[in-house]
Amino acid sequence: MATRRQFVITLGGAVVAMGARAARGQQGAEAPGATMEGDGYIPVRRLPRPAAAKRITALERDAVERMLSCPCPCTLDVFTCRTSMPCGFSPRLHADVVQLANGGYSGDEILAAFEQAYGEKILMAPHKQGFNWVGWIAPFAAVGGGALAVGALIRQWGRRAAERRMAASPVPIDASDDEMARLEAAIRNDDS
Amino acid sequence: MILLGELSLWVALLMAIWSATVSFAGGGMRRVDLVASGERAMYASCAFVALSSIGLWTALITSDFSLRFVASYTSANLPTVYKFSAFWGGQAGSMLFWCLILSLYSALTLAANRKRNRELMPYVTGTLATILIFFLGTTAFSANPYARLDWIPPDGTGLNPQLQNPGMAFHPPNLYLGYVATSIPFAFAIAALVTRRLDAEWLAAVRRWSLVSWLFLTIGITMGMWWAYVELGWGGYWAWDPVENASLLPWLTGTAFLHSIMIQEKRGMLRKWNVTLVVATFLLSILGTFITRSGVIESVHSFAQSPVGSYFASFLIVAIIVTAFLVATRLRDLEARAELESMVSREAAFLYNNVVLVGIAFSVLWGTLFPIISEAVRGSKITVGPPFFNTVNIPLGLLLLALTGIGPLIAWRRASVANLKRQFAAPVAGGVFLGAALFALGMRDGYALVSYTLAGFVFTTISQEFVKGVNARRRMHDEAVPVAFVRLIARNRRRYGGYIVHFGVVVLFAAFAGLAFKKEYDLSLTPGASFSAVDPYNRTWTFTSQGVSRYEELNRQVTAVVLEAKRAGMSPTLIKSEKRQHVDSRGQPTFEPSTEVGILESLRQDVYLVLHGVSGDDRETAEIRITFNPLVWWVWYGGIIMALGGLIVMWPQATRGGSKRRAEGGYVVVMQPSERRKADAAEPPVEAGV
Repeated sequence: MATRRQFVITLGGAVVAMGARAARGQQGAEAPGATMEGDGYIPVRRLPRPAAAKRITALERDAVERMLSCPCPCTLDVFTCRTSMPCGFSPRLHADVVQLANGGYSGDEILAAFEQAYGEKILMAPHKQGFNWVGWIAPFAAVGGGALAVGALIRQWGRRAAERRMAASPVPIDASDDEMARLEAAIRNDDS
Repeated sequence: MILLGELSLWVALLMAIWSATVSFAGGGMRRVDLVASGERAMYASCAFVALSSIGLWTALITSDFSLRFVASYTSANLPTVYKFSAFWGGQAGSMLFWCLILSLYSALTLAANRKRNRELMPYVTGTLATILIFFLGTTAFSANPYARLDWIPPDGTGLNPQLQNPGMAFHPPNLYLGYVATSIPFAFAIAALVTRRLDAEWLAAVRRWSLVSWLFLTIGITMGMWWAYVELGWGGYWAWDPVENASLLPWLTGTAFLHSIMIQEKRGMLRKWNVTLVVATFLLSILGTFITRSGVIESVHSFAQSPVGSYFASFLIVAIIVTAFLVATRLRDLEARAELESMVSREAAFLYNNVVLVGIAFSVLWGTLFPIISEAVRGSKITVGPPFFNTVNIPLGLLLLALTGIGPLIAWRRASVANLKRQFAAPVAGGVFLGAALFALGMRDGYALVSYTLAGFVFTTISQEFVKGVNARRRMHDEAVPVAFVRLIARNRRRYGGYIVHFGVVVLFAAFAGLAFKKEYDLSLTPGASFSAVDPYNRTWTFTSQGVSRYEELNRQVTAVVLEAKRAGMSPTLIKSEKRQHVDSRGQPTFEPSTEVGILESLRQDVYLVLHGVSGDDRETAEIRITFNPLVWWVWYGGIIMALGGLIVMWPQATRGGSKRRAEGGYVVVMQPSERRKADAAEPPVEAGV
């Protein structure tokens, strides 16, 4: 019961959150795109490592930028945004990534630095930990569960179909009249 | 004309209200006069919505800036074609456009069923009219395209530069035609549930419209991919954006339905499941519209935020409650008339195909909504982007591709081991051969290798089916190969049209896998400077800057860079990329600068040129990016092939004796053993088809 209640509460919370977001969205309708060039930018700076040498190549740096979400409403990653739109954010985030890469920080360290500044939202995909596992596993669980359910259903249907076939065509019994009489008598005795 | 258009909108709403009321009443009271009145009101509503649409188009073409909608989405110097397509470029106009398509579809449905499905039609009309009331009501009260401004501006804001693309003329209408077409099967499902006439009749009516929806969604999604590829700023042809995901959801469940409907037609099974899929497809269309228009989820494609979100949410909830109630109270009427007998049968393969299709739909929806769920549970925001969707959906997609090849190889009811060996030998060999050949040639990307191996498997499956069919016709009718091929498809459109769709899927997957090998180069080029780059096929290209030019066009100021591209064995070709600053009729900038990419297209790969900007004291140094995108054109070809297959499946087929329903389906072929094989043919004739 507790599990079901938790599920209902979670679902209810999600619906309420969606409603609240919709309402917030409508309130914000007066000033569309207000955050586009706002002050959502947070500088991500670190002192260069002593005798710092670049630890990542330009391609790896691009890969890091593909893992960072642009804070503008474009929903794109920093790399794609800065090389296509670009908005007021992605070039500045790119500059920060370049500065960190030149300062001797690895890809993971750069991502961690951005996460520390902006929170997990800056990552293009959530970490595989805690509640996020629900997000990562649910699709596979749904398909796996569905496949198992279908398999069980087909097995059950197959059994029923076989039973119907058996009932429709009685199997001939290889027994003499004497043996059949004894069998019927035994069944009668059993019934009584 | 504008006043007439505005009045027509309100009259259409009144007509729809009347249509819904008297249709449901007529159905319940069995009053033919009321039913007829409801249908006439629906035709009238359609006429008034058309009149209202003409009014808005007139206002757009004549630049009547007294209307807020016209002033917000057009300008005097906007090319006429974009003034026309601005109709669906904004929230209010696109809502009216939705009403126009829905009313036209409704009128068509009523006209096509004047003498058919008469028991169902009052409820079909009533349901369609109810949906129309919702859309007309939302348009009239919340997103009215005829809303006036307090003053008349000298010029309008203009259309967003990204929307000034030929894709604007085709992509949204096709997508809307697909979305709205899901309403008709939904209306038939509701009617069948209400009247408890859940036999094969309603399915026959529903199948054609489901195909219409599937076809337009396929065309719309493919065009959208092309548009997002040629127009910079949307993250390439597929970025797993919530709005892109929203268009995929009804397509996935609609595809699942088109497969599972065959099992119901053939075996009388999956009746509950099919009703669920029809309802889910419609609800997902509405959910997609809600996502696009509510502002609940951030998207690069969404409309400006407006209050229509709460209307859509309410409609969605009511629709879910009503259909859930109807299904729950009709479960006994939806009992299957037969049951599956074997795990190794085509029915079972179709069921697994349904599990994967619906599973992918679930994973897409789940990923789209998970940020909201996570925020509600944990209180912290997260982003769910392409890394998540690719991780989850690539394996599921490959599983689906495998099932695309497996399904047609397995016999209906129960497949014998001998049958499986005979059917699978060539396709498995084909797939393994292709995979091994690509590995030997140096391909090491795991997903790409699996993708091409499965593509080879499915392609051989399809080829094998065509070869068998053509050979059978040649033996029976003594026809030449091309004639036998054409007649094979023409006489059995559903089956072979389906195979053509599957071929399109193979082409799509092959193209998607090509993306794993793309190469990118960032560079700065002064006029006359050259740069050498190696493409994914290890060929060396030389790009030479022809300089930066600046000029004005109709409604924009352009900065362009032209590169000369050279490669051994190819004559030099020019590629141009532009930075555009759109201006209004007074020369004032209207939007942020946009970028037009330059594309050198070929079947093997695209050379994709992007001008980031110009630098240097003389502003003559071009900052550019060159990308080699392998096999991109095959994405569009895959979509075209799928649409072509869908058209063949849809094309009406004359019936010739036998069971009408099955003949209409046209998917059952009784293949007699050939004369040569008759002597040793121990097996009964093989029933096959999709």
